[in-house]
Amino acid sequence: MSDTTQAIFTGDRCLSCTSCMANCPVMAAVKEYRGPKLVGPAHGRMHFSQEDIEESLNYCSNCKSCDRACPSGVAVSTLNMLQRAEYYKNHPHLRHEDMLAHGERMANLIRKMPFGATFSNIGMSIGKTLGVFSALGLAGERDMPAYASTSLKDYFPRIKQASASKKVVMFTGCYINDNEPHVGEAFIKVMNANGYEVLIDKGFNCCGSPLVVTGFLDEAREHADNNVARILDWKKKGIPVVTPCTSCSLMLKEEYHELFGEHEMHEAAENVYDAFEFLEILQERGEFNDNLKPSAQKLLYHVPCHLKSQAIGLPAQDILEEIDGVKVQTADAGCCGISGNYGFRKDKYNISMKIGAKLFERVKQKDFDKVISDCGTCRMQIHHGTDIKPCHPIEILAEAYK
Amino acid sequence: MKTTDVIVIGGGLAGFMAAAVAANRQQKVTLLTYGSGSLPLMSGTIDILNAKAPDAAIKNLPAHHPYQKIGLKNIDSAIKFFCDIAAQANLPYVGRLSAQIPVVTAVGTLKYSCLVPESMDASNLINKKKIFVVGIKGLKDFYPSMIADNLKKYFPDKIFDVAQIDLKLLGGRDITCMDAAQILTDNEQTLANELKALNATDNDAIIIPPILGVMGNFSRSVITTQLRADIFETTCLPPSPPGVRLQRAFIKYLQKSGVKIFENSKVVRGVVEDKKVTGVVVENAVREKIFRARKVILATGGFYSGGITMRDFDNPMEPIFDIPVFFPTGAENWSNQQLFSDKPQGFSMTGIFTNDNLNPADENGKILYENLHVVGANLGGCDKIFERSAGGIAISSAYKAATI
Repeated sequence: MSDTTQAIFTGDRCLSCTSCMANCPVMAAVKEYRGPKLVGPAHGRMHFSQEDIEESLNYCSNCKSCDRACPSGVAVSTLNMLQRAEYYKNHPHLRHEDMLAHGERMANLIRKMPFGATFSNIGMSIGKTLGVFSALGLAGERDMPAYASTSLKDYFPRIKQASASKKVVMFTGCYINDNEPHVGEAFIKVMNANGYEVLIDKGFNCCGSPLVVTGFLDEAREHADNNVARILDWKKKGIPVVTPCTSCSLMLKEEYHELFGEHEMHEAAENVYDAFEFLEILQERGEFNDNLKPSAQKLLYHVPCHLKSQAIGLPAQDILEEIDGVKVQTADAGCCGISGNYGFRKDKYNISMKIGAKLFERVKQKDFDKVISDCGTCRMQIHHGTDIKPCHPIEILAEAYK
Repeated sequence: MKTTDVIVIGGGLAGFMAAAVAANRQQKVTLLTYGSGSLPLMSGTIDILNAKAPDAAIKNLPAHHPYQKIGLKNIDSAIKFFCDIAAQANLPYVGRLSAQIPVVTAVGTLKYSCLVPESMDASNLINKKKIFVVGIKGLKDFYPSMIADNLKKYFPDKIFDVAQIDLKLLGGRDITCMDAAQILTDNEQTLANELKALNATDNDAIIIPPILGVMGNFSRSVITTQLRADIFETTCLPPSPPGVRLQRAFIKYLQKSGVKIFENSKVVRGVVEDKKVTGVVVENAVREKIFRARKVILATGGFYSGGITMRDFDNPMEPIFDIPVFFPTGAENWSNQQLFSDKPQGFSMTGIFTNDNLNPADENGKILYENLHVVGANLGGCDKIFERSAGGIAISSAYKAATI
């Protein structure tokens, strides 16, 4: 992989063909957004004074539909994010942007207080009722994701694993660590069943995705430098880093290098795998444990945008269909609309629900046993839009190893 | 990773068509695309050949022409299959191989094509007394007066009336036809009311930009049932709603048929054993992944889509399988400097040569791979733009490749 994958070098390949405009879910939902082509690739390179600001830049959700639509390999959404960071060099962040960008900082603070998780969960539900979130600029219609009583990293030493010579490091991601540690546990169980011991590296930071989309690019760079150094350490030891969160894996594998262009970022990326991508590689090598308990169930699979961008096929579908009786049907209903913290902003809530409407309609047909999706915020959005709670595909696989 | 029956590389018209035909024949199909393909950028019409009666003209083409390898029977079957797929998505197409249908372009000329979405079929324009050309306030790249002026040259005896209607689209970005079509989907009544106010009778025609929704004929039906005059859509600059409707019709069919579509999947080379392709390699940001298949259809396009590249002059390449590429030698034969003349462009003849099964051949006619088939703009030997055969070659070569 050459430096030409760094986003700033891809803009010149834009032919203005408008493929990105035809495929942008935000453009389809609102007419205020001028669209991917005009914001990142065009305005990002053509403005010559600081006052010349493209305000509609803040409509981009970074779902990356434009990148996938582009026939010329332009990193459109990343150009938008770089442009957003430029904007915040001369403009203050709003309070809710700061909050949404720093979920990890907030969680760490709460973990330091006795019963911190319980109290903040109560606080969040009171806050929602009293309209505090709405006043702060957050989408008052949404529940803020509740904290688990113990984070995965704190609970990890109590999980019993046989030691094994084959090891992987789990990059938990913030949402799995603080809100859905049971997904992490399911991952550990699956890896154990395949002869791997799972390690956790407490030195990892948040991947930085929430920071990038809210324009805290310098902080994101600090996270990237720290994470990349640690991934390279694990690489030297021959231990892969695997994550069940598709937005984290995309950030570690692709976006660091697109954003910042350091060669080490690409070197580190070679040691990072999405969870099911890793399992499928095991299967290719004939090392996958296919001693799976049959289970007759029909699963509706919402494929996250950030998984589609990775160009790894649909490994979760292929692996889950190894379970006798499992049938995986893709939802084929486009972006869910939440796109990380985008749908949590008060002024973006309606857009996010409008984009997700097609998916909600599909899910509400209820012609399946469970909804699955690899992405935490996609799962939250589906739950919010349909009252049906999806699970991570790794949970289905973990069940089959019981 | 399981071996699939067919892998199709490319998400343009030829790739979609090949995947649809193969899936219709109960094959397990994986479609690998990189970029959203040519359909959102195309007019929605399928040109087969620039001749009054394309079926007769095809018989007289030289032996190396792709149509001669495909054969009239396959061209006929492809048209039938294509129209059927579109009709299933409530996107009726009209036309046949033996005649041409007029379409009004965005500048008010008439363009002739074999397969035309019902909403663009302007055959009946000739029987009308009065023609309304209707612009939309705030819509980019649509100039009703220019369209009317140009159409007068074709229809000097008709009365033209130019109108501008306000669909309250202003207040955001500059509006394209795609924007208007998306806004009008499930929200058609405003337009219907404005058009009713023209008081057009059944002796009249209304010409509008292609903004009647993005899903088949649904939005159009809401409007036509309320009007006495016939209503025609023109072509437009991209992104093009008629192309998007066609793309969505195909995608719907492919998803329903169980075709696996993987986006952003750039195929960098083939996995080959002797004269067989056993799989293809997709390169992502950090590693490669092999997709295996018993048969592979190459639909990556020509120069414009990266299906054929040329770094050094006189050395065009097919970048995935490194198949020899035919091209006119000598710089003097490469291009015709009169862009709008009545002569073809040499470089547009560039492409791959095949046998009758569309297997790629080298310069001596030797077949390189038995289970690799080349379709659409990858095929060489004719200037598809000049002779207006790109759409027809795409659907008919795809049909043949998928049914062999």
